[in-house]
Amino acid sequence: MLSVVDLTVRYTNQAAPALQGICLNVAGGERVAVVGPSGGGKTTLFRAVNGSVPVQGGYVALEGERVGEARGVELRALRRRIAVIAQMHDLVDRLDVYQNVMAGALGRWSSLHALRFLLRPSGAELVEARTALERVGIPEKLRSRTSDLSGGQRQRVAIARALVQRPAVLLADEPVASLDPARSEQILALLCDLARERGLALICSLHQPELALRYFDRIVGLRHGRMVFDRPVAKIEPEHLVFAS
Amino acid sequence: MHALIIAWHTLLAFFPPDLSPSYLRYVWLPVTQTVGMASAGMVVALCLGIPLAIYVGTRAPGWQGIVGMLSALRAIPDLTLAILAVVVVGLGPAAGMAALAVFYTAMVGKVFAELFLAAPQAPLESLRATGAPRLAVALFGLIPLTLADLLTFGSYSFECAMRASVIVGAVGGGGIGTELVGAVNGLDYPRATTLIVILALLVTSVDTLGWFMRKHPRIALVLFPMGVATMLLNPPQVFVLRHALATFAGMFPPLLSTKALAALPALLWETLEIAVGGTALALLLAIPLALGAARNVVHTAITAVVRRVLDVSRAVPEIVWGLILVVMAGIGPLAGALALGIHSAGVLGKLFAEAFENVDTAPVRALEATGAGRLPIVAFGIFPLAIGPIAVHTMFRLEWNVRAATVVGMIGAGGIGEALYNAQQHMHYQQMMAYIAATWLLVILADVAGERVRRRLGWNYVAT
Repeated sequence: MLSVVDLTVRYTNQAAPALQGICLNVAGGERVAVVGPSGGGKTTLFRAVNGSVPVQGGYVALEGERVGEARGVELRALRRRIAVIAQMHDLVDRLDVYQNVMAGALGRWSSLHALRFLLRPSGAELVEARTALERVGIPEKLRSRTSDLSGGQRQRVAIARALVQRPAVLLADEPVASLDPARSEQILALLCDLARERGLALICSLHQPELALRYFDRIVGLRHGRMVFDRPVAKIEPEHLVFAS
Repeated sequence: MHALIIAWHTLLAFFPPDLSPSYLRYVWLPVTQTVGMASAGMVVALCLGIPLAIYVGTRAPGWQGIVGMLSALRAIPDLTLAILAVVVVGLGPAAGMAALAVFYTAMVGKVFAELFLAAPQAPLESLRATGAPRLAVALFGLIPLTLADLLTFGSYSFECAMRASVIVGAVGGGGIGTELVGAVNGLDYPRATTLIVILALLVTSVDTLGWFMRKHPRIALVLFPMGVATMLLNPPQVFVLRHALATFAGMFPPLLSTKALAALPALLWETLEIAVGGTALALLLAIPLALGAARNVVHTAITAVVRRVLDVSRAVPEIVWGLILVVMAGIGPLAGALALGIHSAGVLGKLFAEAFENVDTAPVRALEATGAGRLPIVAFGIFPLAIGPIAVHTMFRLEWNVRAATVVGMIGAGGIGEALYNAQQHMHYQQMMAYIAATWLLVILADVAGERVRRRLGWNYVAT
């Protein structure tokens, strides 16, 4: 599904590369956790996979199509199939919840369609938004103001938006960083269920190794921009996880 | 349709501008007068305003009274003061300087006083504890503590004075404004175009000068010789103090005939219509222009062009747009609303573009990551994220436009300003004073109403 081959990313104002020689293959339905200290390159990896940062070496390919070489319309078509859930700060507060959810469809809508939706959403579109919100457990928030939601609810709205996007790959960057332990588990369980039931390749960065062990198939360690290990959960030794926390 | 064709042909009459050497030599004098008037106004404003502000800032007896007086004075628009000054000291730069001096004394005095009052109190207390007199407390405490803000505001008010110096000329206050009104009334449109171009260049170069002044405050010292020289070169033409005082005393009590009094509500209503209509038009124009000027929305090749358009519409004051539009659209409130709309579109367009560029990037990036195109990203992200500052700026502009609507009438663009100007021209000074009082009340009401709305909605002004 998704392959990252010998990927190197270097930011112009920094001497050391942000990522160096990263290789990673993720199949549909597979759940991979990325762990490592802050500044280790987790966010850069996600941005490179999504085609948001220029790549200096290697490439990222989705089902054989290279992300780094795509431009304009082509890049947008690829991004549509790679959904990103960042921390909870990426929703537009002034919009209603259903509008933020349906923003996931912007990649396949025409501009006119998008404007018409803001003025007058159709019944079918509202049903799609409600279905996505039901799947993440907060259908009653359909018409709430996004600014009135709690942190956990915002994270669920972001996931619902990713569902509406109908992606092949789901990238979640620290999805539970600012949630309490009980909510963290709920959100991770939800992400993993979705990956299984829809055959999505799920890549999720995490700070907590114990959560990575419980919910994921594979764990990848990143430090100083290099991959330290890439193992199935069964083969993870305690020393692998010492550096991550 | 017919009206549009006439408007188009009138517009063509403004081109090409008169750039003959003899005319350019001729306009040199009014240009120096305009710059000198602004300098002189600021010199007086600093000499009177700073002592008043220190008096207030040291909380000397009766300081609240001075704050009240300065606020009341500031509510009279600069052009209204100029009309009054023309009556008292006669036509010409002397009247313009007098109006600017009064207006900016109130402005500098009030704002400096506010800065002084907001200064940290502990160091001042310890100065007072040494038994230092008020002046020493100001020199060793107040001024050093607030110096950065004083300089910023001082150079900003010089920029404002420069613009105001152009427009006070429009009612006979001398300088380039008086030349411009003369050219338009004399149907000498090519020369009017020349003057407007000079004026726009002057205003934009003052923006740059203001920026330099903030970096190197010593440049401001040039103001003094320039201001003093202008005052010496342009004394009131025939000035007898007793006569001036008698004229001024003759304006009281303010009085309106029964007929004029009955017409006053309609006149005030028309003024408000000009303000609201102008602001609405500005909003309508500013949003698409601002999107075209925001570097995170369209390519910088386009933003560079749109920004120049905004610069021009902003550099030409409402009154000058009014002069052109009265020629094109005829005398009346429509010309006034269009004039306010075009100038405000330039101001709001720039502020909105900044608001669009300053939105939180995280939600916008999330939308980009869904594969959305530019227009949907604007509609779902950038625009809703910037709606708060857009509302605040529009509200402030509406307040400002009430003030501007009271004066655009003076060049024939409707509202109370037109009645005020006619009263002055016919030497009905008691009537004129009544209109000035009505203007003053309207401006104060607009300020108070705006303040209330903002407090109710919890909006804070984003300083620009």
